[in-house]
Amino acid sequence: MAVITIQGLTKRFGDVLAVDDLSFEADQGTVVGFLGPNGAGKTTTLRMLLGLVTPTSGTARIDGRSYRALDAPVRHVGALLEASSFHPGRSARNHLRVAATAAGLPLARADAVLDQVGLADAARRRVGGFSLGMRQRLGLATALLGDPQVLILDEPANGLDPEGVHWLRGFLRQLADQGRTVLVSSHVLAEVAQTVDQVVIIASGRLVTQSTLAALTARTDQLVRVRTPQAEALRALLAAQGIQADPDGADQLLAVDTTTETVGKAAATAGIVIYEMTAERSNLEDVFLQLTSQQGAGS
Amino acid sequence: MTRLVRAEFAKLGTTRFIYGLAAGMAVFAVLAVVAVGTAAGTQGNPSLSADSLPMFVAGPVALVSGAALLLGILGVAGEFRHQTISQTFLVTPDRGRVVAAKLVAYPLAGIALALTTLAVTAAVGAGWLAAKGITPSLLDARLGRVVGVALLGAGLCGLVGVGVGALVRNQVAALVGTLVWVLVVEGLLMGLVNAPSLGRWLPSAAAAAAITSPGGAHLSRLAGTLVFAGYGLALALAGTRLMVRRDIT
Repeated sequence: MAVITIQGLTKRFGDVLAVDDLSFEADQGTVVGFLGPNGAGKTTTLRMLLGLVTPTSGTARIDGRSYRALDAPVRHVGALLEASSFHPGRSARNHLRVAATAAGLPLARADAVLDQVGLADAARRRVGGFSLGMRQRLGLATALLGDPQVLILDEPANGLDPEGVHWLRGFLRQLADQGRTVLVSSHVLAEVAQTVDQVVIIASGRLVTQSTLAALTARTDQLVRVRTPQAEALRALLAAQGIQADPDGADQLLAVDTTTETVGKAAATAGIVIYEMTAERSNLEDVFLQLTSQQGAGS
Repeated sequence: MTRLVRAEFAKLGTTRFIYGLAAGMAVFAVLAVVAVGTAAGTQGNPSLSADSLPMFVAGPVALVSGAALLLGILGVAGEFRHQTISQTFLVTPDRGRVVAAKLVAYPLAGIALALTTLAVTAAVGAGWLAAKGITPSLLDARLGRVVGVALLGAGLCGLVGVGVGALVRNQVAALVGTLVWVLVVEGLLMGLVNAPSLGRWLPSAAAAAAITSPGGAHLSRLAGTLVFAGYGLALALAGTRLMVRRDIT
């Protein structure tokens, strides 16, 4: 069942079309990676979903209702926004207690969530002295304050060190295993690839694809790396057959979506000398870059 | 609504600003007592007597009103400055209720600030009189009036501050704008309309009528109070109308 439903969502800031007719869904109990390069419109989309930004058109709903129409928003939806939105002079614990007071939650929740994100030792320190990683943890603690079933996290891995990213992955998995729905944005696929069930990829405000991670993995390309003294001749030859091949160093070519047999036969018919040829496979990150750059070039 | 007002007090009480402001006011209060005490009996100033306490207590009234105004402005604009407004609106998506809670909390905070400042002034002033061998009379009707007006002024200024902050949102612009309005614009407007019967309806003139009650062409204290509070509510209402639609990015 879809918990988060984005339909025809569009946001225009003056002349800039930040989000353009975007639609996607997130099902209950899944971790959905919301991916795209910086400036793709991820933050604007999430802020529309959270009622902070008013859409130009379209709807963003959680359990069929807009965020502003939820009865107890903090108990229903937890949100992590960018790491700068804390008063630097307030302690981590007091930041959470202020939010708990306004939401009508027991003040003890502040200590509970600080424990949960491993910040208990820094609870009474002022946030102004926190590292970016600590702020992200505090942001997560804030999101968890109302023990919500839906979590919306904007770039939670930003500023985390490798150990922190590892911790975050396990943390998100744990939240999903508890049946919560998590929508997590990132501009780096690798940060979330091991955690997400589904990916929604956007570029220039438009949807590129929504698919399972497995389907995305299937789109990785068969590559052929060729070392030849006649790189330019081979490139032209392959291009004539509709095969893309990009120079990779002085005497190397990287042919996309083809096999060593195809390249070998083509080279033989034209009498091109080949020193070395290897089959490779592109990784997920390449697919991500390819998908998002195509979209970007088209706009 | 009660919990939103309590949350506003929690915000105020969990940073150092309010304590610094209260300490600053207390220091000023002491200096004001010293200034008034040493000047008494010289150059035509009345000598100290058992009735001098109200004179001491009146010293910091204008400044504490200004501090309450500052408190109200920063209570709203500060949330935009530190981007804590996003979190505030996530917890309470009804933005009008957030502004309403601030309209309740900051006048009360201003009154509390005025109370502590006047208490310090009264204590130091009474001590000064005692050192001169004078026993001050605490059950003085004038003292009660000075304190009452000071609390009223602080409450009103807290209210208007919230209104200014809600409308302008940018902390620096709100503070500079308020100063420019009080020191320059109102004077120009007064000169322009050149009619005290109109000029007395301007915000600072109404505030003066409510707090210092200068008489003359000014409004009565009650009218001044209502007009000044009206400005605060009108600013807050206009600010809320804009804020409800505005994108928090």
